[in-house]
Amino acid sequence: MSIRTQGTTLFAAILVLVASAVVLQLWLLTVSMEALLGGEYKTLAPAAAGSTLLLAVNAGLLRYVFRFDRDIRGE
Amino acid sequence: MSSETEVKGCAGCPRSAKWQRDFPIEWDGDHYVTRREMVKFLTLGSLLLASANWITVVASKLLHRGSKAESNIGSVSDLDRNGSMLFRYPTEQDPCIAVRTPEGKVVAYSQVCTHLSCAVVYDKSEGGFFCPCHHGVFNLQGQPVAGPPTRPLPRLTIEQRGDQLYATGMEA
Repeated sequence: MSIRTQGTTLFAAILVLVASAVVLQLWLLTVSMEALLGGEYKTLAPAAAGSTLLLAVNAGLLRYVFRFDRDIRGE
Repeated sequence: MSSETEVKGCAGCPRSAKWQRDFPIEWDGDHYVTRREMVKFLTLGSLLLASANWITVVASKLLHRGSKAESNIGSVSDLDRNGSMLFRYPTEQDPCIAVRTPEGKVVAYSQVCTHLSCAVVYDKSEGGFFCPCHHGVFNLQGQPVAGPPTRPLPRLTIEQRGDQLYATGMEA
């Protein structure tokens, strides 16, 4: 399998992972808003920490994409 | 289908409604969003969502700060054993209810029912709080025991100094 084909498959997989993480973050935000309006403050910080963790995963995957491109171009 | 009957740059798209001719779409350009661009876009969205989550944490701290004020709510002698007293805390818009239990302990809760915000009243005979709107019942610990409410009444911390009672905070 050529590197280009591998890259296409890899990026499709990364895109699915990132999209799933964003959907999870959206759900966390919905839960947080509901908790905030309901006066249940204990769940807010863990939800925010979870969301930040997902952001870190997404940022890591994006960084991987950039590095992959750079390596392919031989820079 | 011949190329004459297709929209330029969109194989299989039939040519021709008038609006399509009036407002042509550059399908090639429209479809050209690479996976890399999509990942970048989603990561930016992810950053915004994480920020929004932290904003809810900050908002909760700000809302909570208002309930740290200290307020004199009356004297112990105002409260009969197994009796109740209404007061406002932390602002004039927040009705609360204090109860002296049959054991002599003073407890206080927000008077706003966690179901649909009606005012709960103390039910001496049952030893709990009753919401007349939808027949919700809370026990003396503020926990819902019957009816539609599912969340407990917010509890106030009460300090007794001599004969005087002070509300010093509201628990979430």
